[in-house]
Amino acid sequence: MNKKLIALLLAAVMVIACFALAACGNKTDDTATTDAANTSDAPAAESDLAYIQSKGKLVVGITDFAPMDFKEEGSEEWVGFDADLAKAFANSLGVEVEFTEIDWDNKILELDGKSIDCVWNGMTITDEVKSAMSVSDPYCKNAQVIVVPADKAADYQTAEACKDLQFAVEAGSAGQDVAEENGFSVTEVKDQATALQEVAAGTSDAAIIDLLMAGAMIGEGTGFSSLTYTASLNSEEYGVGFRKGSDLVTAFNTFFDSEVALGSVDKIAEQYGISTDTIIK
Amino acid sequence: MQDFFQNLSQQFETFFTQFPVVFQSLNVGFLQTLKLFCTTLLGALPLGLVISFGSMSKMKVVNKITRLFVWIVRGSPLMLQLLIIYYFPGLVWHKPIWGGGEDGRFLAATVSFIINYACYFSEIFRGGIQSIPIGQYEAGQVLGLTKTQTFFRVVLLQVIKRIVPPMSNEIITLVKDTSLARIIALQEIIWAGQAFMKGSHGISGAIWPMFFTMVYYLFASGILTVLLGRLEKKLDFFKV
Amino acid sequence: MAILEVRNLHKSFGKHEVLKGISFSLEKGNVLSIIGSSGSGKTTLLRCITFLETATSGKILVDGDAIFDGESTVKPNAKMRREKQLNFGLVFQQFNLFPQYNVLNNVTLAPRLRAKEREDYKQNKKQILAEIDAKARTLLEKMGLSDKLDFYPCQLSGGQQQRVSIARAMALEPKILFFDEPTSALDPELTGEILKVIRELADEHMTMVIVTHEMTFAKEVSDYIVFMDGGVIAEEGAAKELIEHPKTERLQAFLSKISD
Repeated sequence: MNKKLIALLLAAVMVIACFALAACGNKTDDTATTDAANTSDAPAAESDLAYIQSKGKLVVGITDFAPMDFKEEGSEEWVGFDADLAKAFANSLGVEVEFTEIDWDNKILELDGKSIDCVWNGMTITDEVKSAMSVSDPYCKNAQVIVVPADKAADYQTAEACKDLQFAVEAGSAGQDVAEENGFSVTEVKDQATALQEVAAGTSDAAIIDLLMAGAMIGEGTGFSSLTYTASLNSEEYGVGFRKGSDLVTAFNTFFDSEVALGSVDKIAEQYGISTDTIIK
Repeated sequence: MQDFFQNLSQQFETFFTQFPVVFQSLNVGFLQTLKLFCTTLLGALPLGLVISFGSMSKMKVVNKITRLFVWIVRGSPLMLQLLIIYYFPGLVWHKPIWGGGEDGRFLAATVSFIINYACYFSEIFRGGIQSIPIGQYEAGQVLGLTKTQTFFRVVLLQVIKRIVPPMSNEIITLVKDTSLARIIALQEIIWAGQAFMKGSHGISGAIWPMFFTMVYYLFASGILTVLLGRLEKKLDFFKV
Repeated sequence: MAILEVRNLHKSFGKHEVLKGISFSLEKGNVLSIIGSSGSGKTTLLRCITFLETATSGKILVDGDAIFDGESTVKPNAKMRREKQLNFGLVFQQFNLFPQYNVLNNVTLAPRLRAKEREDYKQNKKQILAEIDAKARTLLEKMGLSDKLDFYPCQLSGGQQQRVSIARAMALEPKILFFDEPTSALDPELTGEILKVIRELADEHMTMVIVTHEMTFAKEVSDYIVFMDGGVIAEEGAAKELIEHPKTERLQAFLSKISD
């Protein structure tokens, strides 16, 4: 065992690591200052579609979010309104689909870091989302609704009636935005499920979550059977997020229009209990 | 009163119908936790030894650089290191070396954990090696042992005896630290447990699965405590 | 011809010169004691001869072969050093036994590792190991430790530990056995057993160099005594003569201080 040699090798590795780290630092600084220009320019230079096709698969970033992306009991396959459409979309591009669960807070990191190719998970189109990704044409309507205990629902049918309540909202969600617009006092929690948990436990008076989610998660036969939803606070739209400047956006829009025309979108929607009125045609 | 019991029995019923599904899912998550734990240990122990040699090196450059590296790794949060190692290659070089799937996330998590824990281990090794009296090396030398023989035949077991208690602490911390890997969406046991809150496998709004993961952690750390305690006892036959 | 010859040996730690030209020689079968107050350089001298330190300049010869030459530009490699090392056995002040090995294995470890380098090791493995084992047992019996073979160092008294370490040093059959203040770490009532062992070795004409504070013992067991002071040999001579009739003031002062 030559200790000196090992030590020297080690030193070399570490020097490289340090430089690499330093280089990272510099580069991120660059991208931070020239953010918009850089991110929109770079991927446009090389076709995202060509990139996907060359690696032969489309990695779809999702969370476990019924009825959009979820697994049936006892099955390992991702299904749902979004999942089934994603499969069809990948098929139309001639690539395989791979679903990967992500931490929703890191969706932009995942997308820019190319560990996923799109965010397709009932994502509400907001200014924030639009500034960080290229978003498809909206494909589905949604609303933010107020969730209260079922036994008190009669008193809280309008937003006005709810203004003195303490709301639980998912941090950074569309629900939080509308709560603030309405001047509600809010408690930020980790996700929509936790927000519901707060209401069920009585630690918050009400929550604001997605209509789609509310439809699937609360009421009879769910884990939150004591809750119900009342007023809709706004309407909003869902889109699929791609990397800035990606040509997949056009590919998706074309794909979706033709599927709608074929009537297959309605069919999938019905299959997962989503009203066909919410589909944007 | 009757209501109360009815309610309770209802809750038990939901619990028992949910349990098999949750149990299955937590087991899958726990397997991932265990896998991360084992590979980290296997990788970080030898790498830690190499790093400890670097930080004890008489060559100033090697010594300084190693210590700087150890300081950076030990001085910054593991969670941040996970984010950097997983996302930077794609973000900065536009080469997502890990891939987006579960395997890639696992690999990135393993690499982060090995580097992080190797640095912690290296400091324990260094302390252990430096605490061995110089006389042991000299005795080896005058008896004509090579440096390698002196290290492996004379010093190593004494070092091991000295480092078992601090290493036990780190190893048990590692069991719990694996949960940090969920930041890059590695589906370890807490992730699996938490999924039932939002809805997974047809169960939503269940918070007990997340707290139930504690049983797994206690089980794992309990076994490790016993095993490491036995090792400590096994080395009781001599004093250093 | 002298078995050990040291010529004009110098050793400095940085700017501090600890050995300022030491020369002496030792005949086979003789016992040499080195005395002097702490800081006089006697332990450094011992460590330089046994390669625990590298002398700055000078020469060390064993049986007429230079095993150290300060003038030589050839840098000895690890293997050469080890070979030279094996001319000497060293008994430490602090014993330095290997705590994880029992008494027998402390003695056999080095011979066993050494035997692996023999060409016929693979063929005669059993026989070689049996020989090593038998020899270690004999040595330990001589040290009065036959009943302690499977004891660990922590279970032994200081005197017993030091006897194990003497057996360990002798197991490799060194040409010269060095002792670095072998009784200094022992309680006074235990020094006797070590001195007795050394005396027995002297009777068997083991060539030995002993750094010691025990004047009476040195006088009695040694053939020759070297008195060191301030990095030089201040006085040397036949043991009895030197202790009973010191010539230099420095030795007189040293001896009177010791006997106080």
